[in-house]
Amino acid sequence: MTTDARPQSTPQTIEMMVNMGPQHPSTHGVFRMVLQVDGERVTGMESVIGYLHRGTEKLAEGEMYRQVITLFDRLDYLANFNNEHTFVMVTEKLMGVKPPERAEFIRVILLELNRIASHLMYYAAFGADTGVFGTTFMYGFRERERIQAVFEAVSGARMMHNFMRVGGVKNDLPANFDAMMGDLMPVLERGVRECDDLLTTNEIFLERTQGIGVISAADAVNLGLSGPNLRACGVPYDVRRAEPYSIYDKLDFDVPVGARGDCFDRYLVRMEEMRQSLRILKQAMKGLPAGPVMATNVPKGLRPPKGEAFVCTENPRGEFGVYVISDGKDRPYRLKIRGPSFVNLMSLPTMMRNAYIADAVVILASIDIVLGDVDR
Amino acid sequence: MIGALKGLVTTLKTTLRRPVTAQYPQEHMPLQPRYMGFPGLIWDDKVNESACTGCMACARICPTECITVSMKDNPLFKEGKSPRRKTVDHYKLDIANCIVCGLCVEVCNFDAIVMTDQHERGGPSRGGLVIDIDTLHEWGTGYVKRMRAQGIEPTTGSPPWERPGYKPPQAASAGAAPSEPKAQGAATEAKGEAQSK
Amino acid sequence: MTLDTLLDIVLRLVALLLFITVTVLALTYLERKVLARIQQRVGPMRTGPLGLLQPIADALKLLVKEDLMPAKVDRLLFWMAPLVVFVPAFVIWVTIPFTRDLVVRNLDMGIFFIVAVSGLSSAGMVMAGLSSGNKYALLGAARAAAQLISYELPVVFAILAVVMIAGSLDLREIVLKQNVTPYIVVQPVGFLLFVMAGLAELGRTPFDIPSAESELMGGPMIEYSGMHWAMFFLAEYANTFALAALATLLYLGGWEGPVLPALLGPVGNVLWFLIKCYLVIMLIFWVRSAMPRLRVDQLLSLAWKGLLSLSFANLFLTAFYRYMGWPDVVMLVVSLALAAGALYVMARRRRATAAHPSVRLVTREELAR
Repeated sequence: MTTDARPQSTPQTIEMMVNMGPQHPSTHGVFRMVLQVDGERVTGMESVIGYLHRGTEKLAEGEMYRQVITLFDRLDYLANFNNEHTFVMVTEKLMGVKPPERAEFIRVILLELNRIASHLMYYAAFGADTGVFGTTFMYGFRERERIQAVFEAVSGARMMHNFMRVGGVKNDLPANFDAMMGDLMPVLERGVRECDDLLTTNEIFLERTQGIGVISAADAVNLGLSGPNLRACGVPYDVRRAEPYSIYDKLDFDVPVGARGDCFDRYLVRMEEMRQSLRILKQAMKGLPAGPVMATNVPKGLRPPKGEAFVCTENPRGEFGVYVISDGKDRPYRLKIRGPSFVNLMSLPTMMRNAYIADAVVILASIDIVLGDVDR
Repeated sequence: MIGALKGLVTTLKTTLRRPVTAQYPQEHMPLQPRYMGFPGLIWDDKVNESACTGCMACARICPTECITVSMKDNPLFKEGKSPRRKTVDHYKLDIANCIVCGLCVEVCNFDAIVMTDQHERGGPSRGGLVIDIDTLHEWGTGYVKRMRAQGIEPTTGSPPWERPGYKPPQAASAGAAPSEPKAQGAATEAKGEAQSK
Repeated sequence: MTLDTLLDIVLRLVALLLFITVTVLALTYLERKVLARIQQRVGPMRTGPLGLLQPIADALKLLVKEDLMPAKVDRLLFWMAPLVVFVPAFVIWVTIPFTRDLVVRNLDMGIFFIVAVSGLSSAGMVMAGLSSGNKYALLGAARAAAQLISYELPVVFAILAVVMIAGSLDLREIVLKQNVTPYIVVQPVGFLLFVMAGLAELGRTPFDIPSAESELMGGPMIEYSGMHWAMFFLAEYANTFALAALATLLYLGGWEGPVLPALLGPVGNVLWFLIKCYLVIMLIFWVRSAMPRLRVDQLLSLAWKGLLSLSFANLFLTAFYRYMGWPDVVMLVVSLALAAGALYVMARRRRATAAHPSVRLVTREELAR
């Protein structure tokens, strides 16, 4: 008589496909994630991109250099000045033009303001994805609106500025710029502090983000991760320090570096970067020299000599690179964009190993992708 | 628990502040002086003709090819009243395509086009979004008048430092050493030098 | 049962129904306005002056919306599930006293009745999820069921502690016994437990994984639209108000208050009751605006490890205090000590898991090396 009364061995389970489609409320653009889940755990992940592809690189082959700047605004639409700046730097490198000192300072001021604006948007979306209903959105956007008002006063547009030019910038700063920045800086400082107070020490937030989406430094470097995501893993690589461009080697700022490479460290690194950007802004405002804002040896019709050049800069998302091949005409022969978000996306499957479904949203929010950069 | 309480206190502080909402359309957020809306054409009052000569520089530079221009011989030139040989015949601007980049204003050789503050131009039909020359002149002249009434000279083609009466801005702080403009064209190395990484 | 009593009951029920409906509509409006102010914006302003007609617009919209029933659903369960969620939310109001005499029907075991009946709505959630024929709804329903069941126990234990002190299950008695000190002074930990576990029972932030699952996939209510969905929605708000009312009655002293009853008589009592209810509701909205959401496993571990042990401790201490017959002050001190102990344990856990500081600033010199 057998006493083997054990129940059937482990019941059959089927893995489910959960589709977080191109439209979802915790949206960072039109991005589709197909998750393979086993109960609660994510066992596999596939990302589907291309919903925002506009053929920027091909379009650029048919447009003059001056017109290409407008294309670059729209790539990473949260960091417009950074994109324009990189392209303008590449063309300046090809043509051997050096912008005047004042133009460099103006550029850095706008770049750092844009970095703060981009990180505020990150804060807004990240908070919303961890579940705070709308409050982080309002805090982030409240300050962002003020920054965009400054952008509008300088360049004429809140987002698609078309302001940087080969050899300098389009126009000088408005007369009330000092007053505007004097009003803005304390407000930004207070805003960053409030954003910090709301989330950083919140226990629920810590539970949701600490230890989630961990990626090791070795994996990160192998996958080509860059920007605050890489620095959160402990690798102190910042293009502004590693390969200084513009006037960054004259400016005094620190690079925040995390330790564990989880969502919380990525968040903290970005919060700290906002403070460092404020520091840079103060220095740039103080050291702003007088002078012209446009180099005088730039011809009206931009015709870079034959050759190729590559420049990469520190976008709020990571390392943004532009590679241009010129064949002497007034349109680029080939333009290749190294979008940081595109490469950062590659690390998602590694981060999502053994995550819960609810964590998938948080991890996606923490790497801060912008689909304009991914799809170009 | 303490961290959560900190978050609660922060939200309480913001409750006591004025809301940042501007109730559109009753209230409109203020536009900065340099705000770039859709372009408008300028009318030359002294000669009573359009400042535009139809040279198509703007149409050529437009990244989205939203401008259609044609030129004709200027009858006022034959009568000796105007220095412009040609004048604009037809001018159409499709604001459905315009990306308000401002390039057309930059390249205009005659300071005839300006970025106005027109921005709420939605309409029920696509055809209605193609703006003809008379409306463009209305926009342009209206904008210039409004700006001059506020004491602001609207930005047209030539960059500010090429216009008469330009005063370069002073250094931001008194303590900074007055830096003479860096040698222009410092990079006059051979044009053919290709610098690759 | 004479015609008079029947008429009396019917009138009371109709009055209660009207009151609850109006309150629920007002709560939807109030939530949007209060959250908007916390976020430095204005909320609904266009529908009527100051947006006061917004709940009416919402109600009308839901009434005329098409009520879809997908093909593969279990028709009976699908149709009944909103009712199973909705009806208990209203039934518990039958025994909630607004003042000494203003209650539809007071029961000697008022609290017992309320706890028992409100547990039924959990079944409604599971019915909704199971019958929808949608795998996401099923997952959401499973999580909702787990959450709702886990948080019943802390709620009940917190209520039991109050019942022990008052010595009665009758809500009227409990309020009358609070004429010297409201029980929040004697049981601060119990109040916090009650509110936290109650929030989880409601499915509100920070425990709103079932209903804000719509960020990910959609909770058990994913296939509902129109009037069916409106029932879920109304049930949630009616339950919120019920939670606030219970908190007021059990901990805040119910309808007693200083000035108004002397001025306005029983109306003053009703006003005090409503004021206290709305204060608790404001607290609930405030918490919603400032807290992220807990993941399901964190939620469950909080219930079973944290809140349950705390409520056990609270109950045990209350029992001990009653047995010894000490004055109230002792209970207050002991409760505060309990709260301090819980906070200390939490802080210890936090420090153990969080390595401070995890982000350091690397200066230019360090990078050069």
